[in-house]
Amino acid sequence: MSTTFLRRARGAVVLGMTPVLALALAACGSEAGSGEAAGDGSVRMLVNITDNLTQAKWEELVKPFEDESGIDVKIEGPSGQSVAESFPSLLAAGTAPDVIESIVPGPDTAPEVLDLTEYDWASGTPMADLYSTDGTINVVGVGMQAQSLMYYNADLFAEAGITEPPTTWDELDDALAALAAQDVATPIAFASDWATGVQVQEIWHPQQNVATPGWQQSVADGSSTLGDQFQPVFEHVADWIEAGYTTADDVATDSGTQEANFIAGDVGIYPMGSWFSTTLAASPPDFEVGVFAPPVDDAAAAPGPMGATLAFPYMVWKGTANPDGATALVEYLTTDEAAIAAQAEMDSFSREGLEPSSNEYAGMVQELSDAAPSYVVPGNQTVGDYALPVAGFNPKFTELVQGLWQGRSPADVAGDLTAWYEAEKLG
Amino acid sequence: MARTTTTRRGLLSGLANGLMTLPAAVVYTGLTVVPVGYAVYYSFTQYNGIPSQAPTWVGWENYARIIADPIGDLRPAAWVTLVIAVVGAVLVNGAALGIAMLLRRTTAFNTFARAVMFYPHVLSALIVGFLWQAILGPQGAVNNLLENAGRSTWPFLSDPDWALVTLIGVIVWAQFGVQLVLYLAGLQAVSPELQEAARLDGANGPQVFRHVTWPALAPTVTVTIVTSILSLLKVYDVVLGLTNGGPGDATQTWAYEILAVSFANNKVGLACAQAVLLVVVAGILSFTIIALRRRAEEGAEAVG
Repeated sequence: MSTTFLRRARGAVVLGMTPVLALALAACGSEAGSGEAAGDGSVRMLVNITDNLTQAKWEELVKPFEDESGIDVKIEGPSGQSVAESFPSLLAAGTAPDVIESIVPGPDTAPEVLDLTEYDWASGTPMADLYSTDGTINVVGVGMQAQSLMYYNADLFAEAGITEPPTTWDELDDALAALAAQDVATPIAFASDWATGVQVQEIWHPQQNVATPGWQQSVADGSSTLGDQFQPVFEHVADWIEAGYTTADDVATDSGTQEANFIAGDVGIYPMGSWFSTTLAASPPDFEVGVFAPPVDDAAAAPGPMGATLAFPYMVWKGTANPDGATALVEYLTTDEAAIAAQAEMDSFSREGLEPSSNEYAGMVQELSDAAPSYVVPGNQTVGDYALPVAGFNPKFTELVQGLWQGRSPADVAGDLTAWYEAEKLG
Repeated sequence: MARTTTTRRGLLSGLANGLMTLPAAVVYTGLTVVPVGYAVYYSFTQYNGIPSQAPTWVGWENYARIIADPIGDLRPAAWVTLVIAVVGAVLVNGAALGIAMLLRRTTAFNTFARAVMFYPHVLSALIVGFLWQAILGPQGAVNNLLENAGRSTWPFLSDPDWALVTLIGVIVWAQFGVQLVLYLAGLQAVSPELQEAARLDGANGPQVFRHVTWPALAPTVTVTIVTSILSLLKVYDVVLGLTNGGPGDATQTWAYEILAVSFANNKVGLACAQAVLLVVVAGILSFTIIALRRRAEEGAEAVG
């Protein structure tokens, strides 16, 4: 390699630096295109693709609608990591889908989705009132997915002498101590990424909503702070970390692996939403599984309100070229009995009047949901009248709460959460 | 008359050259200059990236927010990026140069070894991240082996300091192949006569390297340092696959902040301001390195 060549190469590096790094800039600078006209009468639907919700199952779900209406439904998976990430990108590119599944309107996307209030069928869908904003319905679903659930290994509980699932925080602490005394590898399991934040919120929903009903509104109007809302649960988790019931390895282990650990019998208690019952049904453990509601401080208040999310939430893009076809598809998915039953098979949820599932684990979840005094919108899916005026709550919550496993104090984590909220709500 | 014809021919030639350059200029302007221009503009706005909601001009507010860092997340990301860029560049170049010295002669084994060394760079960075997570995770292959051998496991990805060291190691593994190729090319250009003359004068191996090979490699070193630092400054995919920025915010880089935090939360104006600052920092670093290396390269010219 000659010196002259290298000099030229160096020059090329310097000149090339701008376009190379400009890739990052170009990502922000791309010009919005015009909307993709669905002139062929088809409807594009952006959906969540998971192990339970496969492309083939989605296509099977919409097939009867296509046959009856003559409308071709094109199923699309997210182009990014998730539907939440893909939808704003597609809006920016001018190629938004007609129907969006799995997310709810946020502060930025709410003006972009169709108001469904005028459709009679929309108000009859589950949780329509809880997810509305000032009476306006812009997202509808097929049922309720319980979030406040603690799956437990009943065999390990019996060996540890725990005769009844805990109903108070003191009883939960005693149960964890008993499991640890029995040398259970992981008395309570948390997982990495999004799961850490969701799990900590899940176990706190009941007591949080007993103490401060509608806590999101209290935070939004300034009568409470995010830090005050969550510091008590941070203290519980910090105590468990100190006692060794959960370790830093937990929050570096993905949720799929932790679920496998539970099924393998290495975990005493695993906090997770109702969708885990579908995983359990697919790979039944060789021990007895139980489910209990997260505890409250006072046994008289048990069970507390159930953190719940809208199952299969659907929105229609306001700019759709085929609003009639798009709304007809959403009406079919949320009101047709066969379509609802098919979705319940894909990912279990609760709904009044729905035939009991053959999935025994989903049956236990249903019992807990029926016993809950009320359903509450969790923090990681703030929506409608219960929306926090900030974006990115769960990722930030997860990042901060993982600090507990690195030795940060609950007060510091709570303080940072409040500081983040105060900075973010200002935009 | 002859001068007029020559002048006209020169003008026509210039016009033809201009016309031939035009397509490339249009493509470059359309694909790079215009998007960068928009990005700089958006960096002075509050904008969520949704076309129907127009950007609002906010002046230097995004830049002021980055400097003030009210929630203390940008400074740690800048620090992590700096550590990765400096330590990573040293390790990438050290490993690449060392292995290039071992593989400089063209033999069948060396040709095979060069292909093996370059192979990690062919893999998608995201896949590299997932691959090493499966190897070094709390229940990964290495910790399983340790556990089966009755040893305690190592917190490669669960301790903040270990996670940063692991991340740098994985990045070095994935990136040094390119620098290796550059060093191999640079070593081919080092005059064998000069090296032979030095040996005849009684210089041993390290002395030949220090006084002949290393000075002659100076232009290559400049290129490899600048390219590796530029590449390390915008590390994102490996972070996403290996640690997703965790535990906590221990491995969140500046590019991660731009793409996984600001963009993901529809803060396009803030993300663009962060990207503009990244370009400015990269430019300052690159020109500083080139200026500092000028003297060494003059020595190379003397050797060459």
